[in-house]
Amino acid sequence: MAAAIETKKLTKSYKSKAHGMVDVVSQLDLHVEEGEIFGFLGPNGAGKTTTIKMLLSIIEPSAGEGYVLGKELGDFDVHKIISYVPERPYYYEYMTGMEILKFYGSLFGITDTARMDMLLEKVNLHRDKTKTISQFSKGMQQRIGLAQALINDPKLLFLDEPTGGLDPIAHREIRDLILGFREEGRTVFISSHELSEVELICDRVAIINHGVIARQGKLTELLKGGRVELSVTGVQRGFFEAMKLNDSNIHETASGLLFDVPEEADINSIIDGVRAHKGAITGVVPRKKRLEDLFVETVNAKNQGDNRI
Amino acid sequence: MKPIIAIAKATVGEAIRRRVLLIMLFIATILLFVAPLLGVLSQRSEQTVLTGFVLGIVQLSSAVIAITLTVYMLPNEVERRTIYTILSKPVQRYQFLLGKYLGAIAALGLMMGLMSCVTLVEFGIIQHNWGKGIELLQGIGMFFVQMSLLASVAMCLSTFIAPLVNFFLTGGIYLIGTLGYAFFDSFNKNPNAPGFSKALAWFVSTILPNFASYNVQNKLINPDSVIVDPVQYHINAVIYGVVYITIMLIGGMLIFDRREV
Amino acid sequence: MAHPSKSGIRKKLLSLGLCLVGFQALWGTYMVYPRWSRNYSPVQQGKDLISGSLSADQMLFALAGFRELIAGILWVRADSFFESGNYDAILPIIRLVTFLDPHQIDVYATGMWHIGYNFTDEEQRSDRRYLPSALALGKEGSSQNSNTYELFFETAWLWYHKIDDNYDRAVGWMEKADSVADIKLLPARRNLLSRLYERNGQIDKALDHWFTVLDAAEVSYQADKERRDYSIRQNRDTIENNLDNLLIRMSQRGHFASKEGRSLDDYDVMPPFDVGFGVKVTVTAERVLRIQGNWDVLSVGTRIRCILRDADYPNAIAGGAIWDAGSDMSFEPPRDQTYMMDSLFVRNQRFDKTVDMSRDPTMYPFTKEKYLLEFYYNPRSAPHHIQDKFGWNGEGMTDKTTTNIRTDIRPGQRCFYYAIELTRDEILLRKGSRGKTVTKKSDSYRETKEDYSNTDTGKPDLPGQGGQ
Repeated sequence: MAAAIETKKLTKSYKSKAHGMVDVVSQLDLHVEEGEIFGFLGPNGAGKTTTIKMLLSIIEPSAGEGYVLGKELGDFDVHKIISYVPERPYYYEYMTGMEILKFYGSLFGITDTARMDMLLEKVNLHRDKTKTISQFSKGMQQRIGLAQALINDPKLLFLDEPTGGLDPIAHREIRDLILGFREEGRTVFISSHELSEVELICDRVAIINHGVIARQGKLTELLKGGRVELSVTGVQRGFFEAMKLNDSNIHETASGLLFDVPEEADINSIIDGVRAHKGAITGVVPRKKRLEDLFVETVNAKNQGDNRI
Repeated sequence: MKPIIAIAKATVGEAIRRRVLLIMLFIATILLFVAPLLGVLSQRSEQTVLTGFVLGIVQLSSAVIAITLTVYMLPNEVERRTIYTILSKPVQRYQFLLGKYLGAIAALGLMMGLMSCVTLVEFGIIQHNWGKGIELLQGIGMFFVQMSLLASVAMCLSTFIAPLVNFFLTGGIYLIGTLGYAFFDSFNKNPNAPGFSKALAWFVSTILPNFASYNVQNKLINPDSVIVDPVQYHINAVIYGVVYITIMLIGGMLIFDRREV
Repeated sequence: MAHPSKSGIRKKLLSLGLCLVGFQALWGTYMVYPRWSRNYSPVQQGKDLISGSLSADQMLFALAGFRELIAGILWVRADSFFESGNYDAILPIIRLVTFLDPHQIDVYATGMWHIGYNFTDEEQRSDRRYLPSALALGKEGSSQNSNTYELFFETAWLWYHKIDDNYDRAVGWMEKADSVADIKLLPARRNLLSRLYERNGQIDKALDHWFTVLDAAEVSYQADKERRDYSIRQNRDTIENNLDNLLIRMSQRGHFASKEGRSLDDYDVMPPFDVGFGVKVTVTAERVLRIQGNWDVLSVGTRIRCILRDADYPNAIAGGAIWDAGSDMSFEPPRDQTYMMDSLFVRNQRFDKTVDMSRDPTMYPFTKEKYLLEFYYNPRSAPHHIQDKFGWNGEGMTDKTTTNIRTDIRPGQRCFYYAIELTRDEILLRKGSRGKTVTKKSDSYRETKEDYSNTDTGKPDLPGQGGQ
């Protein structure tokens, strides 16, 4: 499959009075496949929006190169086949949903009102055609944002925090729309904090922290390696030596001991060991790895590394 | 061209709904209506006071509206992130700037048009002096060129200066540009002025936009003051305005094109 | 990572911008600005008042529009100063108002009147040093408002009534006023021109003008069929009356006779008519002059002009001054100069007046060394019954001291002029004059023991009523 987005050592630096040149985004190598939903994750200030602006050619990179839909960054033509919905977007409040679509359509020279009607129906706003944006709820505003983004039938959509600040029902509506985009063959690049959301819809993710990609890959691969918790009582001395377990994975609780072991570890041999040392298993709970864990793990590791320096 | 027109239209739509501008327009309109009452200040030259006052209101309110309208235009788009949805479409930055500027002066034109109507009603219907009313419209027309020039200055500065600073800076340039020629001219004619100051005065008065050329109210109030060949004068002044506006827009485009938003 | 063609476009745009900057500078300087020499001030270009009369903030306000409004507000404010008599405060307001709105005709007119008449000393003699300012205001106001007769008329009036001399000036202004159409709305005002022609010795013109205005009045009278407007009829009658009077006087003074080349021997206007002038001036106290004298012309009706001024007062001429000679327009009179003017009222062939200048040191500073005390009599200013003796131009007027009748000080006229030199020390009773009584008199002065100082009481000794 061809790459929708490909960057090589993409870097953006700014002059800072205190620190001289500061890299906001540093040596970024991104790879987004066509037709996938890609999650671009990172804490506030990690460089997500800067990266998107570079990909949209709104700002110029300081170094490195990048390609969007096969075209080099800065190539104006690519704007005809991509779209962008910023975080908490503002649309001219006096306009109705239809007028918004007409406005953005006119930027492409599109005047096809049937298509606009179809888009309104698609985002479930066809019944609110006459309402102005000022009368829209947050969810409706986000949906009209998606509709305007679809006006040029884009191959690649950039969505910045698409579900930020929305209620659960609105979340679901947006999520369904995004999943629909993939089915239509569009590539979706989502930048977000909302990890549970991303986990539900993204095929691949990249985690950026302090301007550097910390992890990148398929979600299924990144989330490999869950944990299992074993609750044990009454084991005798010699058990620890025999099992060669790492101390850090054993916690003493009021009811006995709690083993936290990797999913891939040999659970059966531990259970056998417990029994051999006269202990009793009071519980076995498998804990699947979540994106949140991965994220916290990644961000913390990087931050600790930074602290050591 | 299509994106420019679309952006201009959206800008007009937004501008004519901005509360602060509407309030200014409202106050100006009220003042225009009460203007005839001020005739008591000069029983005999009632028309002169009225003309001066009406033109003064139109000019002052238009200038404030023009500046307020334009200084916030670009920064607001950035702050509200609308600019990203637009620039991620096939819209070049210069098209965006041009669309915004054209929208601004179109909105200004609408507002000044309203004030013109009030003036025309005032002089034509109430005072039964249609000739004076139409003459005043020509004066307001020149103000429109002046305000378009002012808006272009504010627009150019807004590509790299914060709105509040820009407000006062543009206001200052307007004052200097209005007083400019009279002030610098008297400076130049003063034989006692030192050469350096004269050179400075000349430089400032030739480089800064000359807004005074459009203040034809002096002519309207004072029928004896002479413009050599008025038609040619008006054409020349408009050409000057268009050229200066072009300079401001080119400057704005060059800066805005490089600006990180 | 700018697109290569993009940086090319930027460069082209930049050079285009720079070219346009140069173009606008040239275009503005040569094609726009010179086409309209903006007259921001009410004075004409060249007389630069811009920097002198308005402060920066006033100018700012004025140029930002609203000048007429501010002018109106200021003038309303000036009203309260009039009421409180704070005349000095009014001058800058007048200047500012006329500057802001050069079409405030009332302000010009009131300003002229105020400057010309309101600044007086304790004995109600007005400060003549202000006259150039009042005239300049009239000149400026009329040039700014040439579409109406009013300020031409006001200026003419100032020459006629206040200055009461140099009548050719008054005629000049009044002719301008009469040429503006709107004077016909107040036809009675046109009559002044005839009076001024008379004063200026242009008798035939006066007659012609009376006929012109009579015709106009007749037309108005006939047009007002229902006789609603009493003033129309009154004006017609007044003109008729004046015209009759003039014709009588013209024949009485031999005007027609002289035109027909007949002898004027039988007419009153033939010399000699000896005015028998004599004067004695006594400095009775510091800055106080008692002026006594004799003047043998009828019992009532004569006022001899008496001037005490710096010997080198600017633009002074015998018995007056060229008041509009200066070009600058300033509300600051020459504070270091002295110019006192008064009238000596003749009653029963005598005058006796005490001029007390001790209470107004600012009006009479006496800073110079030499002064002239002038006595001036111009028959043109005289009432008809005296003019009947002297003629229009003083033809019949003589004096024992022949040098007192001058033909060189007012063109075409025989005027009376006599001057006494005084020094500062004499007027202030200082140095050599300390403790002395300073008295100066002409040879022809006749002493008297009678008191003629009170002009209000006592019957004039008119001929046939027990007098001469």
